[in-house]
Amino acid sequence: MLIIPAFDEEQRLPDVLRRVASAAPGFEVVVVDDGSRDATAEAARAGGATLIRHPFNLGYGAALQTGYKYARRASADLVVQMDADGQHDPADVPALAAPIEADELDLVIGSRFLGVGDYRMDALRRTGRAVLQALIRAFGLRISDPTSGFQALGRRVLDLYVGDSFPSDYPDVDVLLAAHRHGLRIGERAVDMAKSERDSTLHGGLAPVYYAYKMLLSLWAASSRPRGGATRKGTR
Amino acid sequence: MTPEQRLADLRELFLAAPESTATRVLAVMLSLALVAIVLRLVRRRTLREEYTPIWLLVAVAIALVSTVEPLLDALTRAIGAWTPSSALFFFGQIFLVAICLNYAVRLSQLTLQVKNLTQELAVLRSVVEREEASPR
Repeated sequence: MLIIPAFDEEQRLPDVLRRVASAAPGFEVVVVDDGSRDATAEAARAGGATLIRHPFNLGYGAALQTGYKYARRASADLVVQMDADGQHDPADVPALAAPIEADELDLVIGSRFLGVGDYRMDALRRTGRAVLQALIRAFGLRISDPTSGFQALGRRVLDLYVGDSFPSDYPDVDVLLAAHRHGLRIGERAVDMAKSERDSTLHGGLAPVYYAYKMLLSLWAASSRPRGGATRKGTR
Repeated sequence: MTPEQRLADLRELFLAAPESTATRVLAVMLSLALVAIVLRLVRRRTLREEYTPIWLLVAVAIALVSTVEPLLDALTRAIGAWTPSSALFFFGQIFLVAICLNYAVRLSQLTLQVKNLTQELAVLRSVVEREEASPR
């Protein structure tokens, strides 16, 4: 199953769905329309995707989680999530999905920084990424691209991510840390990524300050919660 | 007389100063008004019954400390304040912070419940729409 959270993406979604259909034909594509004010829902339907509509905007994280809940209801063993703005290349979907299908990993992150493509960050983002990397490294987790939204998830990750501690706004290193602490196997695969406007979490007014504050608080909360049991039941 | 003794005497003067009748009457009227407002809000279904005890307790507390003089005096001395009005402000602020925090917790719970309900609704609607669209 391929989950695409979308908010006001009527312009870019049709092209993304076309590319997905040709690059990852075996996947059921689910678009979670997070209360869009434009014709995102119609674009999703026209593109042949399963449509889940929030009656109002809940946030990027909540839209992803709705997709996870749908996937769980449909007993999906594998979910790949990608953005609706065309930043992620659907051609990378099979490479992300392969380690889950082979039961080598529970969570695969598509990394911009493993030698594929030429994604460049500005100084602010580079600094933010370095700080986040250092923080999660302190907990024994080595990830080159902790803020990547291009990921493949196995059943056990879905079980964890449908819980109430999954954030409604920016699910980043805090949820990775929670997965790590639950004993889930996390790895990365190189992907090509285009620049996106959605990276605005690190731009504009007090948003970067709030983002940094929220991440630190979430990391602390995730690290101080009791570790969950790492049952392997139900994994393919 | 040392400066410390002079300060202690001055504090005793403040503490012994009688609260004006006007202040007491105003405080009692305020507490009665609070009770009346709370009851009116309940009658109009603007305020749920489970939220009323705290505000009725506040009204009783205001009436008590403004009519039973030794009570406020003892509270003032206990927290090291100089005047009964400072003690009232102190306890009032503690109460306001506590109730705001309590409401923030309730708001967080409600936000989570609304999010979960919305997601459930969205998923079920998608399933129903698909079933309705599929040929029987």
